Amino acid sequence: MNCLELRESLAETEDGSRLEQRAHLKTCPECSALVAELDLIAASAIELRAADEPSPRVWNSIEIALRQEGLIRSQRPSRSLLPSLGSRWAWARWALPVAAAVLVTVGVYVRQTSLPVQLARDTAPPVAVPHEVSDAAIAGLNDDDLLQEAAQQSPAMQAQYTDNLRRVNQYIQDAKGVVAANPNDEEARRSLMEAYQEKAMLFELAMDRSLP
Amino acid sequence: MSGRTIELVVVGAMLAGTLTVGTLSAQTHKDYRFNVGPKAGVSVNNPFGSVSVKPATGNVVIVNAVLYSDKVEVDNNLVGNRVEIQSHLLPGGDAESGRVDYEILVPADASITLHSSTGSLHAEKLHGDVTLEGAAATVDVRDISNAHVHVKTLNGPVTITNVQDGHVEVDSLSGEVTLNSVTGPLVQVISTSGGINYIGDFGDRGEYRLTSHSGNIEATVPGSTSADVSARSVRGEVHDDIPLQPKTHTWFPTNNGSAFWGTMGQTTMSSTVVLRSFSGKIHLRKRTSK
Repeated sequence: MNCLELRESLAETEDGSRLEQRAHLKTCPECSALVAELDLIAASAIELRAADEPSPRVWNSIEIALRQEGLIRSQRPSRSLLPSLGSRWAWARWALPVAAAVLVTVGVYVRQTSLPVQLARDTAPPVAVPHEVSDAAIAGLNDDDLLQEAAQQSPAMQAQYTDNLRRVNQYIQDAKGVVAANPNDEEARRSLMEAYQEKAMLFELAMDRSLP
Repeated sequence: MSGRTIELVVVGAMLAGTLTVGTLSAQTHKDYRFNVGPKAGVSVNNPFGSVSVKPATGNVVIVNAVLYSDKVEVDNNLVGNRVEIQSHLLPGGDAESGRVDYEILVPADASITLHSSTGSLHAEKLHGDVTLEGAAATVDVRDISNAHVHVKTLNGPVTITNVQDGHVEVDSLSGEVTLNSVTGPLVQVISTSGGINYIGDFGDRGEYRLTSHSGNIEATVPGSTSADVSARSVRGEVHDDIPLQPKTHTWFPTNNGSAFWGTMGQTTMSSTVVLRSFSGKIHLRKRTSK
């Protein structure tokens, strides 16, 4: 396995645990650093369940990734793009943006590194698509958790949450499809971010202050 | 009508009257008054019931609360220049018995944050920042100037009317969003499946971005509007009733009925308008009356 193959394979097994991946990582410091960084983001996202504040390193990683992809611009001083951290369910607000950042970063990174080789070979394999990575596997998110929480907090609205969850998941799938078809389309990537934003909002509404 | 029928009607009416009086007597009115400084903050978290906020005279916050049972109480707190109101459900409280309706007067420059799950949220005639969040809550915001207006809903309809120089951001999963005479440097609506209806002239030199995954987007503008408009629907249709000066250089195809991009009015004064949908229809209409 070479560097290109390893990075493409990360879209399926992002922690580098497969035999061929491990063999390559032993001999390649650059790929090892990439996998370590991805592991850190993924692990930190899960740890957000228990943490009151994510470490500055996590915040920096997310911000840098989003800025590099042009998905966020300079923030207005009066409002942070990132969710607040004041509540018990703050981790849920963080988890989806983190998942989005990881997905987009992996997808674009793989695509950027593989594109020249693809052009040279002309018979290149398809560009790795971010949706091959499981959101839940990365961020510890689970739609069932959301529905369970909504059922406990507000049984009368469970059907509405279920319906909206289905719609927003479709939004994400469609947005991913457009990104895959048009990897250079900045608007498509923005649309994907907006889709994740919508899902993050759904978690927030289900689990935060607007419910008793 | 027989005597027996009349007797039944009278008994029924008396019973209904008794029940009504009983319900009304379970309601409790509470009033709170807080003296605050300029640019105060007011936060209300009311799971069940409505919240209406209007401007007061002077630097005072006046809260009028109607509690629908003894299964709920109102926690209130003044911290520095910030008033916090919380409907506190007691054991056994539910959506009906836990309902509280608030009418609140705040200084016009106050920043307000309102949360409700099922009630309606209303704010008017303010020039401080307005943040409204609710699941199924109906949201109505009007007559706001020089302020941020942020709205988040699950499926409650959102109506925003007459906002000038606003920084408006609306996120809705499936609620219908209507903006009427809303202008400012940034007006953004993101919806998953709700429709978006904009009525107005897009101001001048602002950025207007209306996005819905599967909802329809309709913008109705007067002929005098100056705007640089791009519309694109991946699987839906786009319609344009207004002749636009087409862009000579576009980065997406604009000739297949799923997209257009052009300028109307004066380019020097024009706002940027972006209309995006995945499967909804997009329609740019010319306002015919007024």
